[in-house]
Formats: sequence, structure tokens, C-alpha cells
Amino acid sequence: MLAAVAPILAQIAPGGFQGPPVNWVAFSPEVVLTATLVVVVLVDVFTERYDKGAINTLAGIGVLLSLLFVGVVVVTANNSESMFGGAYVVDNFALIMKALFLLSGYVVILISTNYIGEGDYWEGEYYQLILASVLGMLVMASARDLISIFIALELLSIPAYMLAAWRKRDLKSDEAGMKYYLMGVFATAVMLYGMSLLYGLTGDTLLTKINAAISTGTKPPAILILAVIFVLVGFGFKVSAVPFHTWAPDTYEGAPTPVTAFLAVASKAAGFVALMNLVFIGFLGRADIVQPLMWALSALTMTVGNLIALRQTNVVRMFAYSGVAQAGYMLAPLAVAGSSGTDPNVAVRSIVTYLLIYAAMNLGAFAVVIALARKTRSAEITSMSGAFHYAPGLAWCLTIFLTSLAGIPPFGGWFAKFSIFQALFTAATPAGYTLAVLLVVNSVIAAFYYMRVVRVMAFEPADDVDMTPVKVPSSLLVAMGITVVVTVLTGVVPAIVSQFASSASLVGFGG
Amino acid sequence: MTNAPTYLPEYIMFGLIASSMVVAAVRVVTTKNVVHAALWLVLVLGGVAGLFILLASEFTAITQVLVYIGAIVVLFLFGIMLTRAPLGKSADLDNNVAQRIVGALVGLSLLGVMVYGLVNRWSDQKIELVGSSTRQLGQTTEQISDSIFSTYLVPFEVVSVLLLAALIGAIVLARRD
Repeated sequence: MLAAVAPILAQIAPGGFQGPPVNWVAFSPEVVLTATLVVVVLVDVFTERYDKGAINTLAGIGVLLSLLFVGVVVVTANNSESMFGGAYVVDNFALIMKALFLLSGYVVILISTNYIGEGDYWEGEYYQLILASVLGMLVMASARDLISIFIALELLSIPAYMLAAWRKRDLKSDEAGMKYYLMGVFATAVMLYGMSLLYGLTGDTLLTKINAAISTGTKPPAILILAVIFVLVGFGFKVSAVPFHTWAPDTYEGAPTPVTAFLAVASKAAGFVALMNLVFIGFLGRADIVQPLMWALSALTMTVGNLIALRQTNVVRMFAYSGVAQAGYMLAPLAVAGSSGTDPNVAVRSIVTYLLIYAAMNLGAFAVVIALARKTRSAEITSMSGAFHYAPGLAWCLTIFLTSLAGIPPFGGWFAKFSIFQALFTAATPAGYTLAVLLVVNSVIAAFYYMRVVRVMAFEPADDVDMTPVKVPSSLLVAMGITVVVTVLTGVVPAIVSQFASSASLVGFGG
Repeated sequence: MTNAPTYLPEYIMFGLIASSMVVAAVRVVTTKNVVHAALWLVLVLGGVAGLFILLASEFTAITQVLVYIGAIVVLFLFGIMLTRAPLGKSADLDNNVAQRIVGALVGLSLLGVMVYGLVNRWSDQKIELVGSSTRQLGQTTEQISDSIFSTYLVPFEVVSVLLLAALIGAIVLARRD
């Protein structure tokens, strides 16, 4: 049979097409997650609508299994793979970010369990979209050419647009999804135009080759400046950098709270991974374009985010603006990227460190807010008064996360900020020093509104507050347990996270 | 690239297609009828396909026709008809004068910046298409198919997951419950 077909096949494809070599071990986390997605879709089809409990568990197990395979990749020493001519790279940086995405994906699934199960939502599809989005993030961590980066961005964003509108009967949720979608599509269009200009200028989609092509010459042509700005602006939207942040507060407030946590942590981290790939691999030779742009973005983002956060009365909106400000801190090391005479990997490591700690403390804060809202049914800051009396455990947890977010030792946040300072001072440029000063000023402002929440929980009179304790479901407890442990450990023993981060290097690898 | 041949017929066709595209694109935003706007858009997108044919990349041209005209504009028209939107002229399709002026200013300044950038970089260069004089019909299609299944295998596979996710999400959001 086959012998008869062979000559016909040879006629159709005279070139004798050879498939590319693929290292399947290095690919295993993505493969496992895709398989999980397919299994979840099938299970969803064959279960009744009121009986979707298994799907949540399956999705969680799949994500953990994928995380296990990230470990397998490291153990089997497949952690320096460069496939498809350098378009898809599995190195320590990519693996650390994959672990971060999978772990935050798992925590999001945990905090979604009761929220989605008890509300009137489409449950099976919810987890399918979360899994698809996390898969996009895994691809993003390894993508080293423009087309892979673009496709990964689409795969992680499109499910997120739809998840933001998941509370279908609520106008606010519809508004959240609509705003996120329209602004996102616009940013993507601008970014794609920049990518096409880059391709036109360099004739290649590989970031390393783009860097080689644009690094020549003392003065960049005007069109290159435009192309770089357009591409970076597209990701500025994704990480909600000012002035591209306008979608964030409304989307965060309107979306289901677990989705908000997902957007604020995982989606933002994915945007930063793409920014780091672009800045440290693609545009490293053009610090004269990237540095001023990133300086302005970072300074604006942290200042505007913090100033508006001061005036918020809704805790989710407050976290939205605080997330904007935190993105500003993380953009700061990009403003010193490519300074001559410094190791760019210091900046890479500082951002990776910040992302790891930020993920833990922010997800934890959202988990507590969701747990408290199960009783109060509100996200107003005033509704939290007296929390220390009726739910001391939750209130203490939230205090830990907020202290950490403010950067006060001994919790993780201080080390995250410290590593950013380290990167800024190592560069020893005026841009670095000014951003460091701005960062200190902003940390003080931020501490004020973080601590205000603690004050409301501890000292506001809780006269007519119902004193029955809050029942916290076990999945939320596990989520809070993971995040509290990470937040405290990274603060007390920062060597853990710096050990991880120090193996992350983007520059000088991937050829 | 002084030896690059002059493609006179191509230049003439380019001028014709490009100018009709500009006219059609202006009509897309100025017409007061949504259906007409969608049909003008067909002309713009068809022009893009024509430009791709001039560049001897027939696969991209056919994809352009299939995807943009065949799927997206048809989806627009179905969307307009199924949502009971007014089919004739509608006055509220336009923004007020102040918004129109701001929009025009932004558009024109962007045009100025882009034109400056492009002219500044490429005005003194003659770009010869790689092997365009010797290329045979179907050759670019073969190259594209080869690179999809070798260099760009990951994006190609990832797109299928993306389509699955988009399908699932769209059904959930659109269905009545």
C-alpha cells in the first residue's frame, strides 16, 4: 500500500521536504498543557451542566503536571535548547518564567474554584480559556522571533478578553471585556505595524538577527525609531504602563475577581517577558532609542499609578492602580538596558526577581479579598472594617501581603525593590539615579494607601458588623498558604529567589 | 542597485490600484451608510490583494481575498443584518465636528510622521524583488508552505489552539442562557 503511494507523493513534493528537528523533552510542558486542554474540553462535553467539579480538579492537575515537566526539562539537562533556527529557545530564563506562569495559573484555578462554581457562570469553558491563556504564556517565554511573539501574545490575550466579560448579565463585566478588547486590539495593530517595519528594515524576524542589523550606525534612521516605539507601545499596553493604562481600572473592577488576579499577575508578567526579550535581545544595540522611551514610561507609570491609587475607595480599583505603579517599578531596569560597560543580565535578573515576588504577594492579596468578599459581598475598602475581629487569620494574611507590596521588610517585597535598586545603581547613569529617587518617593506614597487598608481592618469601628467568622473554602486556603509561604520566605531568605534569578540570563545566549 | 530593471507596467498598475485604494479608504470613513462602508472596504482590501500580485506573491494575495473579503467583510455584513442595525443612511454614524477635527489632525500628523520616516530611509533606493524576474508561478507558495512546517511550526500549531479557545469563548459569550 505504502509502496504504491510513495511515487505519487514524490511527484507532489519533489523537494523531499524534511521536517525540522524537534526536542520533545524541551517541549514537554507545552505538550502536557495542550493535552490537558483537550482532555478538559472532552470531559466538559460529556458531563452535565450542574456537575463540573471534576473539570476544575483536572485543570489543576494538568497545570501541576506541566510544572513537573518543567522540572524534568531541567533535570534531563535540556535547558539550553535552541530550536527552529533560534526562534524557540528553552533556556533557564524561559523555564523560570514558565514555572512562574504555571504556578500563578494554578493559584488562579484555586481561587476560581468556589467563585466560579457558586456563581452562575459557564464553568467548564472558564477553565479551558484559562488553560489556553497559560499555554500562550509558556510559548511567550520561549519565543525569540517576531511571529512567535505575536502569536503567543494573541493566544494569551484573546481568552483573557473573553474571561473579563464572563459575568455576562452584569453590565460592568461587559464593559470590562469590551474596553479591554477594543484597547487591546488597537495596541496590537500598532505593534504589528511596528513589527512589519522592523521586518522591512532588517529582512528577518529573529530577534538576534534584528539586533545585529539595527545596531550599526551611530544615528538611527527615523523609521527605526518609529518601529521600535510602535512595538514597545504594544507591550506597554499589556503591562498597563501609563499612558496606555486607561483600560486597567475598569477592566479590573468589572471582571470576575479571579480573572482580575490573573490579568494583574500572569498576563502582566507575560507582557514583561516579551518586553525583556525585545529589549535585551532585539534592541540591545539601540539603547539610544530604548532608554529614553523606557525612562519616560517608567517614571510616568509609577508616579501616575500611585497618585491615582491614593484616591480609590474600591479595593480592586486600588489594586489596579497599585498594579500600574508596580509595573512602573519593573520598567525601571529597562531604562538602563544596554548601558555600555554593565552586564545587562543584572537588569534581567532584577525584573525576574520582582516578577516572582510580585506574583506571590499580589495573587495572595486577591485571594484574601475574594475570601472576605464571600461574607461582605462588596469590594469597598470601608466594608472591610472590623475584619481583624471576625476574621483575624485573613486580616493578618492581607496585612502581610500589603506590607510586602509596600516594600517593608521582612516580607518579600523589600528584596524585590532592593534588586531593582541594585540594577539601577550598577548602571550608574543619570537616568538610573533619577529613577531610583523617583522609586523611593513613590514607595512612600504607596505605603500610605496600602497601610490605610490595614488601618480600616484594625481600627475602624465595626459597630453593626456581623461578627460571625468567615468560612474559607479549602482551595482558597491552599492558595493563600502557597502565597504567604512564598512571600515570607523570599523576604527572610532572599537567597532562594536570587538563586533562581541568577541562572536567568538573556544576553549572550541563543546565538 | 543601479542595475535593477525598471518595471513600467508595474508602476502604472501600482498607481492605479493605490489611488483607487485611497479613494475607497476615504469613502469608508465618510459614507453615512454602514453597508456602503463595508462594501468600500472590499475595494480597499481587494486593492491590497492586487498589490501582492504585483509583488509576485500569489499565495498572500489569495489569502487576502479569502480571509479579508471572503470572511471578515461578509461577517461585517451579516453582523449588520442580524443585529437589526439601520440599513439606510444614519445620521449618528458621524462624530461631532470637534471630534472630527481632532481625528483628522491625529490622522494627518501620523501620516506626516510615517511619510517622513519612509522617505527618509528608502527614497534613494531602488529595491529589487528577490529573483522576481526569474520566479515561476507557485514558487512562493512552495516556500511559504515549507517555512510554515519548518521555521514557523510552533506559531502554526499554536494558532490552532488559539482558534479552539476563540471558538469556545465566542460561543459562551454569544449564546443565550
